[in-house]
Amino acid sequence: MMSYPVAPPVLLCGVSKTKSQTILFNLLIEHQPTEDKFCFFHPERPTMTAMRVDAKVVMLGKESVGKTSLVERYVHHRFLVGPYQNTIGAAFVAKSINVGNKVITLGIWDTAGSERYEAMSRIYYRGARAAIVCYDLTDNSSFQRARFWVKELQTFEEHCKIYLCGTKNDLVEGDRSARQVDYHDVQDFVEEIGAQHFETSSKTGNNVDALFLKVAEDFSNSAFEFLPEEKGVNLDQKKNSYIYTCCHH
Amino acid sequence: MASDVHSKGVTWDTSNGNLTPVEHLPNSRSESPTPGLVEGTEPGAGQERAMFVHTQSFEDLTADVELTGSRLSEIEEVEEEKEEEQQQGGGGGTGETGGGAEGVEEPKQEVHAVVREKEEDHVFVLSEAGKPIYTRYGSEEALSTTMGVMMALVSFVEANKNVILSIHADGLRVVFLRKSPLVLVCVSRTGQSDSELWRELHYVYYQILSLLTLPQLQRVFQQRQSYDLRRLLSGSERVTAGLLRLLETDAGLMLNATMSLPLCGTTRNIVCTSLQAASSKNLVFSILLAGDRLVALIRKKEQHLHHTDLHLLSNLAASSSSFRQGEGWTPVCLPKFNASGFFHAHISYFEPASDLCLILVSTDREDFFNLSDCKQRFLERLKKRNAYQTLKEALHSPTYPVSQVGIPELWHFIYKSKSSGLYTSPELPVPYHTEEEQERLMDLYQYLHSRLHHLTRPLRSIYRCTNTENLLAWSTSGFELYLCFSPLATKALAMSAVTKLLKWIRKEEDRLFILNSLTY
Repeated sequence: MMSYPVAPPVLLCGVSKTKSQTILFNLLIEHQPTEDKFCFFHPERPTMTAMRVDAKVVMLGKESVGKTSLVERYVHHRFLVGPYQNTIGAAFVAKSINVGNKVITLGIWDTAGSERYEAMSRIYYRGARAAIVCYDLTDNSSFQRARFWVKELQTFEEHCKIYLCGTKNDLVEGDRSARQVDYHDVQDFVEEIGAQHFETSSKTGNNVDALFLKVAEDFSNSAFEFLPEEKGVNLDQKKNSYIYTCCHH
Repeated sequence: MASDVHSKGVTWDTSNGNLTPVEHLPNSRSESPTPGLVEGTEPGAGQERAMFVHTQSFEDLTADVELTGSRLSEIEEVEEEKEEEQQQGGGGGTGETGGGAEGVEEPKQEVHAVVREKEEDHVFVLSEAGKPIYTRYGSEEALSTTMGVMMALVSFVEANKNVILSIHADGLRVVFLRKSPLVLVCVSRTGQSDSELWRELHYVYYQILSLLTLPQLQRVFQQRQSYDLRRLLSGSERVTAGLLRLLETDAGLMLNATMSLPLCGTTRNIVCTSLQAASSKNLVFSILLAGDRLVALIRKKEQHLHHTDLHLLSNLAASSSSFRQGEGWTPVCLPKFNASGFFHAHISYFEPASDLCLILVSTDREDFFNLSDCKQRFLERLKKRNAYQTLKEALHSPTYPVSQVGIPELWHFIYKSKSSGLYTSPELPVPYHTEEEQERLMDLYQYLHSRLHHLTRPLRSIYRCTNTENLLAWSTSGFELYLCFSPLATKALAMSAVTKLLKWIRKEEDRLFILNSLTY
């Protein structure tokens, strides 16, 4: 992997101090016990450490649909059997992936599905380049919840690519009657919103790598396209693209 | 007693007034008759300033002790009546559910859940509208009639401008805690005192606050009285269950203190200074834990952490495996510090299988990558100074055998230094290797503790002989000591053991306690 220079702090301050960012921020702040309400560093700031993130990917969906299991399968290649454990807040993990001759580092935010965190979910998906919206193939209500997230993303993150992911595919493969969400219904919905559609199983690993590879490929293909039309629209993405391009020339 | 427990020279008023609420700051402190044992000079006392807010046992209860004292007789009368009523009410409730078309299995479960065989406290949380929010056993739906009865009891007494505190009947204690907009109820057969049970309920209450903050909780119920709070609390069941478990097994929650990991002085120094150096602008607390033991705590100047908050944080970190797989980032309210706002905690384990957990608490919700960077810097510094390996090795022996002290017949002890807010305790010896025995010992300590800190009749020391062990508890303004001897020990031996033990702790205090309280 190429080593990237760390962007000078001046640039970063400039990025997040702008008006649009501030407004968004004030909307988000409710009970901050501090007078210090402004973010002077970009949340996706590449640090001096090993972790450098190209694309922010966020996992969304109703609780217990298997977001954590999906990440666990992809990142650690395992499926943990045991009592269900809720994610608290969100968990971040970085993973590098080869796309063609490039290395893309995905920063994956695995969010908690609980309603409690809904009010602050925006801090997790803000500036995300891709959102994997999960639903449980055996639970119709989880698909309704997925529709909610899609709407939320379309409203607040227009540049975020959406990947709808039906989880627990192994359960419906063994028993067709367990399926509560019809494949073709989802396919229609996906075409309507211009998203991608996957059905995965974290237990068997089926389609999991393909999903994340697609996310990385799409990011890699779109990274350059974004630059010209990005001015002042979404600062998060602009900065990433800036570093990206200057290092590749 | 409680009023002894105040610090010398700790600044309570903070320059940053909006961070710490000021109302519950203690201001009285009593003189100690034993100068050598005055607070601040006892073994394990911090050398400079305390890192914790000084706490009293049952501090949440002492605030209204006068009120309860004067009202006690009045209330007891009312309680007598209530008992009968509750039995009737409970019976009626069962019938109702049984008559329902859906609840065929439910009545059994309900009865079973209320009258349980297991010797553990049952905890219920309900809203003021009588809606179930949490039950430790059984399902909330099945217990909704029972909770309705509980709410009826509370409001019946309140209608007469009174407060229901507890019901004692047939070896059963039902303790009520009213924290608007919530009502918490604990049903216990274990013979714990009311104060102990109130402490448990307070912890459950603070647990709920730590997830929601007080304003959010109040707002939700202001908007709709019949709101089902379970929607907002979903996913926290494991956290609450873990907390209730801790309350039964961890002496730290009883003592309002924290156990530190025994670590040689130089290593601890390196760990502390490295953590201190890895700071960031909005960082308020950096906490390094090894399981439930504290390794290091660095805080912002003039800001003190409360034990309750620390216990809530460490329980939170332990209760989801998701922190072991990646870096966690979650809003968390520290209710004792400030119940009205969220902090943001970066929680991560150093290795997936290791017990070393770093919690960085920041005021900025966008601080994740800054804190992630802090963690990396801390880790690099530790490795560079070769302390990481030493630290990992120290984890293999997180405790010490009581034989190191060299007192015959001494099986176990708990020593709390009041000014540092830390306690030390050796590993549990052979007779206490089963879980039941450990709980039994813990129950004994709890009994001694509640006698020492009785709200109206506190004791300075207590010696208790049972068939299986002899126990001594002693509280001074500087420390609290609980000793467990074999049944062969005598009172004279126990008294001489105290001096010897204190000398030993003084000698070892470098290793057993965190003497320096560092700030950024």
